[in-house]
Amino acid sequence: MLKNYFKIAIAVLKRRKFFTFISLFGISVTLCILMVGTAFIDKIVSADYPDMKRERSLYINSIELRNMKEGWMNKSLLSFHTLNDFMGSLKTPEKLAISSQSTATNTYVNNKKIVVDYKYTNYAYWEVMEYKFLEGKPYTAKQIEEAQHVAVISEDLKKAYFGDTGSVLGRDLEADNVRYKVIGVVANVSKTLLYSYANLYLPYTVSKVSWKSSDLMGGYTGVLLAKSVQDLPKMQAEYQQMVRKIPIGTKEFDHLYVAADPYLAGLTRNGFGNEHDTGVAKVIAIIGALAFIFMLLPTISLVNINITRIMERSSEIGVRKAFGASSSTLVYQFIIENIILTCIGGIIGLLLSVLAIYIINAADVISNLNLSLNLKVLGYSFVVCIFFGLLSGVYPAWRMSRLNVVSALKAQ
Amino acid sequence: MIHLQNIEKVYRTDTVETLAVNSISLDIAKGEFLSIMGPSGCGKSTLLNIMGLLDLPSKGNISIDGKDIRNMKDQELATFRNHKLGFIFQSYHLINDLQVLDNVELPLLYRKGSEKDRKQLATEALEKVGLSNRLKHFPTQLSGGQRQRVAIARAIVGKPQIILADEPTGNLDSAMGDEIMDILINLNKNEGTTIVMVTHDENMARKTHRLVRLFDGSQVL
Amino acid sequence: MYKHLFKLIWNKKKQNFLFLSEILISFLVIFIVFSFVVFYYQNYKQPMGFKYDKVWRISYNNSQKTKSSDTLTLFYEGLKRSLQAMPQVKEVSYSGGNVPFADSHSTTNIKTKDKEFDRVNNYNVDISHKQVFQMQLLEGKWLGKADRTDKGAIPVVINKRLKEKMYGAKSPVGKNLWYGEDDKKNTREVIGVVADMKYDGDYYGGADGMYSKIDTSFYRWVGTISLRVSDDADAAFESKLYKMVANTMKDSNIEITHYAQMRESKNAITIIPLIILMIIAGFLIFNVALGLFGVLWYSISKRRGEIGLRMAIGASGKSISSQLILESMFLATLALIVGCFFAVQFPLLKVYDVQASVYLYAIVLSVLFIYLIVFLCSLYPGKQAAAIMPAVALHEE
Repeated sequence: MLKNYFKIAIAVLKRRKFFTFISLFGISVTLCILMVGTAFIDKIVSADYPDMKRERSLYINSIELRNMKEGWMNKSLLSFHTLNDFMGSLKTPEKLAISSQSTATNTYVNNKKIVVDYKYTNYAYWEVMEYKFLEGKPYTAKQIEEAQHVAVISEDLKKAYFGDTGSVLGRDLEADNVRYKVIGVVANVSKTLLYSYANLYLPYTVSKVSWKSSDLMGGYTGVLLAKSVQDLPKMQAEYQQMVRKIPIGTKEFDHLYVAADPYLAGLTRNGFGNEHDTGVAKVIAIIGALAFIFMLLPTISLVNINITRIMERSSEIGVRKAFGASSSTLVYQFIIENIILTCIGGIIGLLLSVLAIYIINAADVISNLNLSLNLKVLGYSFVVCIFFGLLSGVYPAWRMSRLNVVSALKAQ
Repeated sequence: MIHLQNIEKVYRTDTVETLAVNSISLDIAKGEFLSIMGPSGCGKSTLLNIMGLLDLPSKGNISIDGKDIRNMKDQELATFRNHKLGFIFQSYHLINDLQVLDNVELPLLYRKGSEKDRKQLATEALEKVGLSNRLKHFPTQLSGGQRQRVAIARAIVGKPQIILADEPTGNLDSAMGDEIMDILINLNKNEGTTIVMVTHDENMARKTHRLVRLFDGSQVL
Repeated sequence: MYKHLFKLIWNKKKQNFLFLSEILISFLVIFIVFSFVVFYYQNYKQPMGFKYDKVWRISYNNSQKTKSSDTLTLFYEGLKRSLQAMPQVKEVSYSGGNVPFADSHSTTNIKTKDKEFDRVNNYNVDISHKQVFQMQLLEGKWLGKADRTDKGAIPVVINKRLKEKMYGAKSPVGKNLWYGEDDKKNTREVIGVVADMKYDGDYYGGADGMYSKIDTSFYRWVGTISLRVSDDADAAFESKLYKMVANTMKDSNIEITHYAQMRESKNAITIIPLIILMIIAGFLIFNVALGLFGVLWYSISKRRGEIGLRMAIGASGKSISSQLILESMFLATLALIVGCFFAVQFPLLKVYDVQASVYLYAIVLSVLFIYLIVFLCSLYPGKQAAAIMPAVALHEE
């Protein structure tokens, strides 16, 4: 039965090539854009090199001090001291990674200027993140303790600074007017990894800005790694307890909050949320609304075309009905035709998005951004495809089932 | 009034050539009421279409009211049709999305004239066919006979000299058909309008001045 | 004839509901795109207000251990002199971090005797700032060596936008104002007016701004040096400059950037999302146009009988095609009226604090754009309709 429908559907689509073309064009381009957008979002949200343990991590990205009476507030990254001494006192987490927000400085090699984005980290940072070492290894706890001037650099920095050579382990690199010895080279990190991106990694003890400061605020962020996904609630509970006991230390402010969020909530809270609301729901709602509006035009266009197609075949439908086809048979046939059309459009859209992603990666607009179509993205797209096909087929099919035989046969 | 000379019409498709009208010559005098009869497919509608300048003959000459049609361009033909001719079709061809009055004034829209004049003329035409109480209705709200009467009003609103009717009573029952015939006969007698009517109905044909029979594209009898 | 066509369309509005909603939504999409384009374009046309070419920025963190203002002043004045001594350096200015293209803003409230103004950008700069950026003085004087005016007030220079907001056409020179938290001791006096500067890149207009001289207690907070360099300042010089500054401030992180590059980054961040939006909108509209074309084509083939009839009663081919085009335009007009009703809320409500003229231009452009698309989509089907022979159209059997 299905095979029969399929054959009829293909024949119908071939008959009216122009309408078929319009429908396929609309579907494939819409789906292509949706898929590329999904790939972007997936890239930002999902675990990505080197931050591979996201499912069991909580991210501490900012601290906010408020004066509830006067209304003013101060918000910033955390100091090393806050993270190390307060967050470091928790028992539940397996590890605590502390690193500074990457900052830019310059270095000049052969009168060529290189911009270096550097980051100070503790030892646990390398255990929480999973960097791929092309040469050497990270600095040890002892090297950090002794404030040795050693550095891990990215592949890009190695090429820019030393050129296309062999191993650079043990060689000197000067940045920010300080000399460091290279002890490791890692694969490049994409700039979209807000809290892991850098091309020069240094022990925090060599930082020029004092890491010993007792201020609550500074330039660092932290990642709490739980022993397992199930441990997360327990870790969060202990964390909240500890936060309540952090002394504010100044009369200017009377309220403090510092959240430890899963990755996505940490991102959204910054722009769309506040102390009491992670903002995740808001962001999802906004993106959903935008996607819906975006799909509205092609859907209406498709519905319109489908109705036209049906009306055009009204005499054919009238004849079928006259010879005994029930309304439901015709409706099923039409909906299947429509789904086949959307699936063909979907496949074309898939090919287009592979092409688009290839072009985006090659154009290197955001360096080291490697978009890919993984199974999750494909899965979502397939669902959207079916949804699209049903949506644009239901209303016309309903109109068609109400066609009166006689008027359909008479009308030309 | 209408002068047809050796009219031929051939329809060509990829595989078949059909001779619809085969060398017909005909003269119709002013004020005449002519019927054309014949079995289905004998070419009578084709002949009417050619007379009404809706189609071009493959061969032959036409002149209407002394004017030779052959060299007229698209705009001239259109103007000519608008002023001189009126059409009545078997399936009425009314515009269902317009009210009766708007349907009747349609030919006048392609002429110069004020809105007021158009409405006036359309109302008069509808009075002549006895439908003054249906001005604001839509065609879908009327019976077959009423629709044909609207079509007739539309055909006469511009006071044309010639009316071409293609099976005007074909879709109507006998009582309605008689009513329509009466309107046409009165038109011919009182206004002097030349009428050429294609029909299947022997009774209707007998009420007209002259009868022409066609068979397989040629004139017989 | 127009009234006739409009009546025809009005009576058919239910059938054409989908067509109408497509036009409506397309209009709204185009309106949003054009609003952005007009907004950015209007800002783009305005003059920059300063020169950014051959101006460099040195960022540092103040790591001097001393808290004494006098020591700091000596230190930084000394650094400034060393910089000015370098042959490729023409002008040097210290300032707060809210320099052009820096994405750093500091605002304050100010009040005059009777009114209050909020969100005024507060720029603390060296007196050489004007030469470094070649700012344009429109009235009065720029900041000078004097810490106080003749009347004993703190001198400030305001920009043109703020001046027009506060004083209209009158001259502000000599007038007093106070910062939000000021008291009588800190009365400020306007001594001059400068041209607006586009701090956020080419595509954003200037904002209200006020310039004050940095005083000695300010050096603790300063982290930016802006330099105007000579034409022959190259990478070799930059490397030398870097070393000199880094050696002078051993415990600080140093970064040198060029304002020209900062401007490019800022512009790119603004423009790239708009370009993506335009590409997507373009695809959507093309999709809609194709769909409209198909639907119009079909509806014309459905109305063959009517077309044949009109030709029979005297319509010429040209009249038929113009009728069909006009019908589509009328249909589009119905949708556009609803669309404009929504769109006109934007200038009325001054959404996002944008000038009404931006939205009005956008509405006009969007309406014309939609009409153009509808016209083009109905052109071909209309011409096809005109070429039908009446007999063929009427002869359905």
